[in-house]
Amino acid sequence: MGTEELPMDEKAKRMRDLLSSFYSPDPSMSDSNNSPSKYASLDAINTLSFDPDRYMNLLVHKSNLEGLLQRHVEMAAEIKNLDTDLQMLVYENYNKFISATETIKTMNSNIVGMEANMEQLLEKIMSVQSRSDGVNTSLFEKREHIEKLHRTGNLLRKVQAYGDSSFRDCKRASEEAVLTIIKNLQGKLFSDSESIQSRAEAVVLLKQLDFPVDNLKSQLLEKLGQFLSQLQLEQWEMSTDSNRSNEPSNQGNAEATHEASMREFVEALRAFRVIFPDSEMQLVKLSTELLTKKLILLIHAGVVWTDVLLIDEVLPEAGLADFFLEAAHVAIKQYVASRFSHLIQDISDSLMAQTREKDGEEYSLLVTLEASKKTVLQGSMDVLLVKFENPGPDFRQLLDDKLDLLIKLKGYVIDWVQGGFQDFFRSLDDHFLFLSGKDKTISQDQGITDGLHGEKVLAGLVLVLAQLSVFIEKSAIPRVTEEIAASFSGGGVRDYEHGPAFIPGEICRIFRSTGEKFLHLYVKMKTQKISVVLKKRFTTPNWVKHKEPREVHMFVDLFLQELEAISIEVKQILPQGLIRRHHRSDSGGSTTSSRSNPLRDDKLIRSNTPKGRSQLLETHLAQLFKQKLDIFTKVEYTRESVVTTIVKLCLKSFQEFVRLQTFNRSGFQQIQLDIHFLRTPLKEMAEDEAVVDFLLDEVIVATSERCLDPIPLESPILEKLVQAKLARTKAQNPPTS
Amino acid sequence: QARRISDVKADTDHTSFLTGTLSVKEENEVHLIRLSSGGSELICEGLFSHPSEIWDLSSCPFDQRIFSTVFFSGETYGAAIWQIPELYGQLNSPQLERIASLDAHTCKIKCVLWWLSGRQDKSISIDEENLLVWSLDSSRKAAQVQSRESVGMLHYLSGGAWDPHDVNAVALTSDSSIQFWDLRTMKKENTIEHPHVRNVDYDTKKKHILVTAEDESGIHVWDLRMPKFPSQEFSGHSHWYYQSTSSTPAVTKEFCAIPALVKLIYGWGCMTWAVKCNPEYDGLILSAGTDSAVNLWLASSSGGDNPSKSLVELPNQRSNPLVNSYTDYEDSVYGLAWSSREPWIFASLSYDGRVITLSHPSVPSKLQTLLANFEFVGIYTIYSIGMKRLFAASFVCELDAIQISFMNSRRKEKAYPKNTSDTRVDDLIWFPSPRALST
Repeated sequence: MGTEELPMDEKAKRMRDLLSSFYSPDPSMSDSNNSPSKYASLDAINTLSFDPDRYMNLLVHKSNLEGLLQRHVEMAAEIKNLDTDLQMLVYENYNKFISATETIKTMNSNIVGMEANMEQLLEKIMSVQSRSDGVNTSLFEKREHIEKLHRTGNLLRKVQAYGDSSFRDCKRASEEAVLTIIKNLQGKLFSDSESIQSRAEAVVLLKQLDFPVDNLKSQLLEKLGQFLSQLQLEQWEMSTDSNRSNEPSNQGNAEATHEASMREFVEALRAFRVIFPDSEMQLVKLSTELLTKKLILLIHAGVVWTDVLLIDEVLPEAGLADFFLEAAHVAIKQYVASRFSHLIQDISDSLMAQTREKDGEEYSLLVTLEASKKTVLQGSMDVLLVKFENPGPDFRQLLDDKLDLLIKLKGYVIDWVQGGFQDFFRSLDDHFLFLSGKDKTISQDQGITDGLHGEKVLAGLVLVLAQLSVFIEKSAIPRVTEEIAASFSGGGVRDYEHGPAFIPGEICRIFRSTGEKFLHLYVKMKTQKISVVLKKRFTTPNWVKHKEPREVHMFVDLFLQELEAISIEVKQILPQGLIRRHHRSDSGGSTTSSRSNPLRDDKLIRSNTPKGRSQLLETHLAQLFKQKLDIFTKVEYTRESVVTTIVKLCLKSFQEFVRLQTFNRSGFQQIQLDIHFLRTPLKEMAEDEAVVDFLLDEVIVATSERCLDPIPLESPILEKLVQAKLARTKAQNPPTS
Repeated sequence: QARRISDVKADTDHTSFLTGTLSVKEENEVHLIRLSSGGSELICEGLFSHPSEIWDLSSCPFDQRIFSTVFFSGETYGAAIWQIPELYGQLNSPQLERIASLDAHTCKIKCVLWWLSGRQDKSISIDEENLLVWSLDSSRKAAQVQSRESVGMLHYLSGGAWDPHDVNAVALTSDSSIQFWDLRTMKKENTIEHPHVRNVDYDTKKKHILVTAEDESGIHVWDLRMPKFPSQEFSGHSHWYYQSTSSTPAVTKEFCAIPALVKLIYGWGCMTWAVKCNPEYDGLILSAGTDSAVNLWLASSSGGDNPSKSLVELPNQRSNPLVNSYTDYEDSVYGLAWSSREPWIFASLSYDGRVITLSHPSVPSKLQTLLANFEFVGIYTIYSIGMKRLFAASFVCELDAIQISFMNSRRKEKAYPKNTSDTRVDDLIWFPSPRALST
C-alpha cells in the first residue's frame, strides 16, 4: 500500500508545485533548490531553468522509441491535465471577482437607507435632552419647600419637649376628683337605706358623668336575680313542707313568708323601675323567668296568678299576661314531655325487673305483667289527673280576670296532652320492639351493645310484651280516651280544625299488630327450642340398625317437660279461652279421611301386597282431591291456642325430621311407641284433639313410608310399655303426680 | 315420594326436568319430563329404573344425557354419574348407563355439584365431613378424586353451591356456618357464622350475592363483600301458610330512614327447604318449604353497590317482597328448579311426587311484566310420579275456564277428558271421588 501511495503523493505534490510556481514569480526560491546545470535529468522539466531543447536531446538520447512514445503519451496527458487545472483556476478567480462586485453593489444601496435612520436618531436624542432639562427646573421649587419644612419640624420638636409635663398634672387631678364623685354616687345607689329619689338622682348624675350605667344596671339585676333564687328556695321549702306535713298552720306560715318575700321582690322591682326607667325589657325577662320556674315547681299551686298580678302592677307595660301565657306553654310542655318519658322509663323498668331477677328461681310472669299493667294505667291516669284537675283552680281563678286567656291556654293544653299521648304510645310501641330484640337493625346500626341484646331475649318477656300490647289496645287506650273526653267535655276548643291529635284507632291498630308479632315470636322461639331437641333425637342414632324398643325414649320426657314449662308460662299470663274442643266430627269430613287410625293400621299391614299398592294409589289420588286440612289456624290470645299452635308446629317438625331418616322395623316401632305415649298428654294439652291426632298419625305414616319393614307393634305391647313408663315417672316424682 | 328435581340445562330445544323417586320399599325411577311447547302438558320423555332411592339429583349442564345422583341403599350411601341411553320413545324402561361411581366417601353423602357456567370436567361431591373434587373423563367412563379435604368431624356439612362466577369458589353449608372454600388451595377462605342453613344458592347474574334458606329464620340474602349481616331477610316458610301483614307503613317508613341495606320483614319462619335464584332475572328468588307452598320473592336490588340510590328508590318499591305464594300442594315441597331455557317457568316437586310447573303463555320482555304475570295464576301443569301406574294430570287454569284432563302418560292418551268452563279453581275439590275416577 505504502508503495502505491507514495507515487500518488509525489504526483500530487508535483502538481501543486507547478501551480504554485505559476503564481509565485520569484525564481530564486526554486533556483536555490534546483540548479539546472547540475544534473541534466528528465526531472529538470519542472524547474525554472528548463531548456526544452536540451531536454529533448536528452530524452532522445536516453530512451528508445517505445520509451519516447510512452513519454509522449505521458506528457500529453500531463499537459492536458495542467490545461484543465489552469482553466479551473481562471474560472474560480473570475467567479470570486463577480461576487465581490455584487457585494460592493449591495453595500452601496444599504448605506443609502442608513442615512435617513441616523437623522431620526439624532432628532430623538435632542428631544430627550430637552425633556430632562424641563423636569429638573420644575422639581427645583419643591425641593426647596421640603427642606424648609424639615427645618420647621426640627424646631417644633424642640418646643414640645418644654411644654409637656405641666399639662399632665392638671389632667390627673381632675380625673381623681371625678372618680371620688362616682364612688360616692355608687355607694349612694347601692345602699338600700337611701331614698329612691336620691338614688335616682345619683344615677342621673352618674349618667351625666358618662359613667357606664349599663354595668351598674346589670349588677343590680344580678342582685335581683340572687334575690329571686332565694325566693325560690323558700318556695321549694314551702312546697316540700306543705307536702310533708299538711298542717294548715304550717302551710299558712309558709304562705305568709312567701307573700312577704314576694312583696319584697315587688318592692325591689318598683325601685329598680324608677331608677332605670328604660330597662323594662330586662325586668320583664327576669320576672318571666321567675314565673316559669315557679310554674314548674308550683304547677299545682294557685299562687302564681296573684304573683303575676302583683308584678303586673309594677310593670304595666310589660304585658305580663302574654308572657305568662308563653311561660305556661313552655312549662306545661316540658312537664308533659318529662312525665311521658318518665312513664316509659317506669314501664321498661318494671319489665326489665323480671329479666334481672331471672336468676332467682321464683319469678312470676304474672307479677311482672300486673306490675307493668298497673304502671301503664296508673301512669297515664296520673298524667291526665295532674294535667286536668290541678291546673283547674288556676283556670278558675283566671276565669274571673281574663276569659280569653283561659280559653287559649286550655286549647293548647288539650292539644299537648293529646299529642303527648299519641307520641307516648308510639314510642312505647317502639320501645317494646326494642326490648324484644326484634329491632335488630337499630342495634346494629347504632352499635348499641346493651347487655340486654347480648343475651338471648327471654321468651317470657316476649309473651308479657304481647299480652301487654293487647291490654293497652283493649283497655288502656279506651280508658285514656274516655278520660280525655271527660276532662274536656266542656272545652269547646278551636283546635279541632285539624282533627284531634290523639287518634285512638291508629294506636290500637299499632298495638294490635305488635301484639300479634310478639305472640308469633313467642311461638317461634319456643318451637325452635323444641325443634333442636327433636333434631338431636333424629340425627344421633343409627335408625337402620335400631334395636327393639324396650321403653319409651327419654326425649319424650324432654319434649313434654318443655311443653309443660310453656303451658305454665302461658297460664300465668294468657286468659283461658272459650272451651271449644274440636272433635273429629267438628273439623269437617276431611280429617276423617283414609288416614284415621284403625284404617291406617290396616293399610300399613297390607301395603306390601299388590292389593296394598292399589290402595296406596287410591290414597294418593285422594290426596289430590282432598280439601287441604285446616290444621293451622290463627293464633289467639288464649293459653290453649298458643300451646296448641306450638304442639302442632313441633309435630310437623317431627314429621319432617322423620322423613330424612330410614328406619328398620325396630326403629319404626320405637317411633310408634313414642308417639303412642305422646298421644294422651298432647291431647290434654292442646285444644284441638282431632288435629293433634291427625298430626301424630302423619308422623307414623311418614315413618312407615321411610321404613324398610313397617310392621307395627301390637297394641297390648304398646300399652304395656306405656304403662311401665307412666309407673316409673310416678315412682320418680310422686308429689307432682 | 320424591325430593329432588333438576333443570336439564343442556337441552336447548325443550324445557325439560329430571327427577328421581325416593322410596325405601319400591323400585326407584328417574323421570325425564318435558314441557310441551304450549306449556300445557308435561310429558314423560323417559323413565329409567334406578337401583336405590335418590336423595340428590342434578343434571350435567353441558350434556343433557348425563346426570348425577346421590342414593342410599338401606345400608350405605353412594353417588354416581349416569348416562341416559339413546332409547327415547321405547316402551320398556331401559337401563341407565353408569359412567362413573363416586365412591370415595366415608359418611353420608349430601350432594353432587356441577359448575353451571360452562364446560368443566370436574364435579364436586360433599358428604358430612369431606369435600371432594372429581375429574371426569366421560370417554373412558372414569372419575378420579382430584383433591379431597376434610372439613372436620364436628361441622356436619349439609350441602353446598358452586359459585357460577368463579370456578374455584364453593360455598358449603354446615350446622353452624356457611363456609367458603377455594378449590385451588383446598382451604377455607371465609366463614359466615349462621346456623341451620338448609339450602344455599348463588345469584347467577350478580356476583357476591348468596341466598340461604334456614330452618328457623327463613331466607337470607347475603352480600359476600359484607358478610357480617345479611343484606335482606324474608320470613321464608313456616309449617303453614301465613301471609305476613306486619309490613305496616309505619315500619317501612322507619326502615327507610335508616341508612342501611337491611330490610326485615317478620312473619313466621320455620323450615324453608329449598331456595333458588332465577338464572335470568336477578332478585327473583323461589323458595319452598314445609308449608306446602312455593313462594316467589323479589329481593330489592338495594343489596347492590350504591346504597344511596336504593334508599331513594325504596319508597317506590314494593312494600312486600313476597310476589306470590303458590299453595296448590298437598305435601311439603322439597324440590325446585327454574328452567334456564325459559326463565319464566319453574318446576316444583312436592314430597308426594307431584311435579308442578308454572308457566305463562306470553313471553315477558321486562321484569316488571314478569312480576305482574306471576301475580296472576299462569298455567299449572301437574305431573305425578312415584306410582307404579303413572298418572299425569294437567290443569290449565285460565281465570274462569278450567280444563282438567287425566291421562296415562305412558301411552300419551287422554283417558279422562273433561271440560268444565263454569267451575273455578276452588271448586276443584268437589270433583267426583277419586275411586270413581280410577275405575
